[in-house]
Amino acid sequence: MVKLTVNGKEVEVSAGTTILHAAAAAGIPIPTFCYNPRMDPAGSCRICAVELEDSKRTVMGCITQVVEGMKVLTESPKVHEARKTNLELLLLHHPLDCPICDCGGECPLQNMSFSYGGADSRFESHRNDELEDMKSEVLVFNSNRCILCGKCVRVCDEIQDVHAIGFINRGFDTVIGPPLGKKLDCEFCGDCLEVCPTGAITDRFVRYQFRPWQMEKTETTCTSCGSGCRMIVDTESEAIVRISAREGLGPNEGSICVVGRFGYNAVQNKSRLESPHFKRAQRLVPGNWEEILPKVAAQLASISSSGEGRVAGLISSQLPIEDAFLFQRLMRQTLKSNFIDSDARQGLMNMAIPLVSATGSLRPLVDHEDIIAADMIVVLGADPAAESNITGLAIKKAVRKNKAALYLIHGHDVSISTRAREVIRLLPGSEESFLTMLREALSSGTTSLSPEGRQRFQGLGASPEAVDRLLSDLRASKRTVFITGRRFHRSDQGFGASMQLIRLMAERNMFASEGSGLFVLPESGNDLGVLMMGATAEWLPGLLDAANAEQRSVWETHWQTKLPSGGGGLREILAGIEAGEIRALVSFGVDPLTFLPDAAQIRKTLSKLELLVVVDMYQGPLADMAHYLLPAASPFERTGHVVSAEGFVQPLAPAMAPWGLALSESEIMLRLARHMGRALPFDDLASLSSEVFRIFPDLRPSTRNAPYFQGGTGEILLSVPRTQPPHKAQRESVLARVASFVKADLPATVSPASVSSSERPENSFVLTLSKSINHAGTRTLLDSNLMAIEGEGFLKVPRSWARKRKLKKGACVLVSTHHGRISLPIDPVAGLADGEVHYPLHFADARFMVLFPRHLSFNAQSGTQSGQAIDVTIEPIA
Amino acid sequence: MAHSDSAAIVQITDEEIDHICEEFGNREGAVVQILQTIQEKYGYVPAEILERVGDDLGIPHSKMFGVLTFYSQFYREPRGKFILKVCVGTACHVRGAGLLVDKIKENLNVEEGENTEDMLFTLEPVSCLGSCALAPMAMVNGNTYGKLSGDKMVEILRQIKDESSAEPVSEATPAS
Repeated sequence: MVKLTVNGKEVEVSAGTTILHAAAAAGIPIPTFCYNPRMDPAGSCRICAVELEDSKRTVMGCITQVVEGMKVLTESPKVHEARKTNLELLLLHHPLDCPICDCGGECPLQNMSFSYGGADSRFESHRNDELEDMKSEVLVFNSNRCILCGKCVRVCDEIQDVHAIGFINRGFDTVIGPPLGKKLDCEFCGDCLEVCPTGAITDRFVRYQFRPWQMEKTETTCTSCGSGCRMIVDTESEAIVRISAREGLGPNEGSICVVGRFGYNAVQNKSRLESPHFKRAQRLVPGNWEEILPKVAAQLASISSSGEGRVAGLISSQLPIEDAFLFQRLMRQTLKSNFIDSDARQGLMNMAIPLVSATGSLRPLVDHEDIIAADMIVVLGADPAAESNITGLAIKKAVRKNKAALYLIHGHDVSISTRAREVIRLLPGSEESFLTMLREALSSGTTSLSPEGRQRFQGLGASPEAVDRLLSDLRASKRTVFITGRRFHRSDQGFGASMQLIRLMAERNMFASEGSGLFVLPESGNDLGVLMMGATAEWLPGLLDAANAEQRSVWETHWQTKLPSGGGGLREILAGIEAGEIRALVSFGVDPLTFLPDAAQIRKTLSKLELLVVVDMYQGPLADMAHYLLPAASPFERTGHVVSAEGFVQPLAPAMAPWGLALSESEIMLRLARHMGRALPFDDLASLSSEVFRIFPDLRPSTRNAPYFQGGTGEILLSVPRTQPPHKAQRESVLARVASFVKADLPATVSPASVSSSERPENSFVLTLSKSINHAGTRTLLDSNLMAIEGEGFLKVPRSWARKRKLKKGACVLVSTHHGRISLPIDPVAGLADGEVHYPLHFADARFMVLFPRHLSFNAQSGTQSGQAIDVTIEPIA
Repeated sequence: MAHSDSAAIVQITDEEIDHICEEFGNREGAVVQILQTIQEKYGYVPAEILERVGDDLGIPHSKMFGVLTFYSQFYREPRGKFILKVCVGTACHVRGAGLLVDKIKENLNVEEGENTEDMLFTLEPVSCLGSCALAPMAMVNGNTYGKLSGDKMVEILRQIKDESSAEPVSEATPAS
């Protein structure tokens, strides 16, 4: 520890601390432009000058380390003189166009100039008047306002690891921008925009449309993916103008992705439903809540009184835990049906069932901090940067800072591929075989693969040399994190693969060793929470087994009611409707017609329903069939809590008034129950929240902030940790269960078919669906900003294949299967597994779905829709 | 710059670039030498080549472009077959280098730093070539010409032009 004084105030900090942080510890702010607490200091802007009292020298606070007995002055005349001169120089060429600059009002440079007496200078020079770089649809680079602190370049290098922008030219001519005069081509996270201490980088979507001081700020949680990003929503007259992150705030620590930052227009799209509708003469006619809800309630009451399991319900996994809790209670208690499901099933159930039976928890044993500290990260069937952007950042940081060994086992190259020690390309549907063989090889104890072993891995398309490296690293690793994502969870072998993976981890003792564990990437904002709240047929709240009478009695006693047994998920619901047993369906934001193939057949099934109630923000294909269509409030218009991939329970806050007459789903449920004369014991969402937190104390809100925030002139502010329940699963309780899970025999799964990649005919491929970084689900297709960034789906084909046929990006090819054919534009890319092509799932509409078989297939154990990879033939269109 | 003749844009295969990078052991630290080698061979550093070098060395394109634009020795556009380095340093300046440059501009119909339309010449005033005794002087592709006057310079340019057109058509010679 080192003792020093800052402005006469004594502080004690650990050796190696900089003056900037020592002063922050003493509560004394020092202004900065180029400093960011998450990055290495650069010392380029010189505004953090402080005086050392003894030597009378000025030094830079951000790069100077403290020494014993140092006497730092941060507000002496000499410091003021230094800062003033510095500002004079920084503003020498600055255009001083604050009145038309979007940054004006929240600009650290403006704030500093204001406190140090204006912009008059002793030096004479010209004002910069270069034209702005307007090539990008997203960001505008204005070199005139730039002070060349380099923070944007560093955030792109050190935090995003994207390297999209750099310094161009030299000396006075230096500008910041994308290389080679091209337009910006990056992940569009907008972090550069966020950290810029001037208006040199501005948001083109809302250019000249706001003044920072006129906007209302609301802190809320993003529900687009499982990262659980905390963000600030800026609104003006009930409209979202922009979304930003705040340095240090939330698990994202000040970074958010393109969907979080720019995807706010879908919720204020004209196609949002404004009022409740009912069907009259085959048409949906607008009405009001007072007349429609009693009718819905009466019909639901009469159908549900005809017996158990007559009504089915679906709930979106973007909805908060309160809604999920209420939903399952309404369905089970009021409507006497266990035919309930969530779209979390499609993305997660293959993993969730094995995970819950093995560990008893859906919360992870590791979080992003453990990923950063891991010495080995194995990513299985996931594109972390696209599926859970902040997890992607953690992985990149682990590799860059801690030289973690990263293995990517996936079908095609993703943004983290270049950091991977090995990329093992695996065709879809061979995950279980791969993990089974990996387990065998690990337990065999030999250092390298046997010739047969090599051949078997080769048969899956995996390079045996890469597998050898993976095996030896796995044996040596002390902190291993496995990360699984969309492709893994949705694979036809997903369930068996998850079983194998958990077994492998248990055998390697990874559940016991601190820092090791499994990190599951959910597909949307509250997949984990919705499952924990029992919104699927399998589980009651708290992940109690709904099929087990003893566990059911826990809730039966609590609610003093008898709960229905049986029931099922989407597969059983569709079968029940087809058989005429299920007579009513209530969907809270789930539209099976958008993700199941053969919409015509499903429409036919659904048309047998006596009552179809759709609660949604938009009128989708399912809503067209509804008897009642009720407008739902968006996540920006309501309260509630969502559970992130790391296990944090974070709040939503209303940033704008509900759209038209829209109500939150839980409000609709409460009103429905009241109209049915079976009111549930909650007055409003707040009482519902407190009930959930009372029953599940470990689900009380929790979050993680970075150690430091940053203020209006770039000063460092300490973040004070609050007491909160743990967000990770408890190792002791997990360990006890894992032991018995491993002892049990593995359920017999389909014996893995050997996939041979070498015998493929020339134009034949396996087509898979992938998630794009620029979209989340299909709702973002309604977002004008995100559509400006990526407005069309391209079929990703191997570059070598396209080159041979002289096909460029945008050329159309004919894609055909046994079931149908369509033409698609292509995008030739490198790094695809042999014989694989993929297409962004967001653009996989009904026209695209003709490629898939007409019949539905589901995984036997998890009820997850299977058959998402399909053999296709691709031919150029002459 | 003047219109670049399509024939003057060099065709370089990816393999050639990979080969040059390999000669320097694909070392990140050798990036300046690699770019110099490429420029020596092809006269300038085309954009696609810069990207290829970056991919080979594992350096992001934004950093490659930063290096390229930092050093004034690198050119991003094709240049003429003959580089006219006209000294405008102090000694040459007082002996009328300005008039010399004006004469060349008029004769070749180019501005400073530009190529002639036929891609034969690039006019490039430089600060000092270290031969003040010969002022005003110029260098054309390594050959030094001293004690110049406007007329002398025009004559030299004419000679170079004649010799160049007498030569068999080479790779860098524009097809006409």
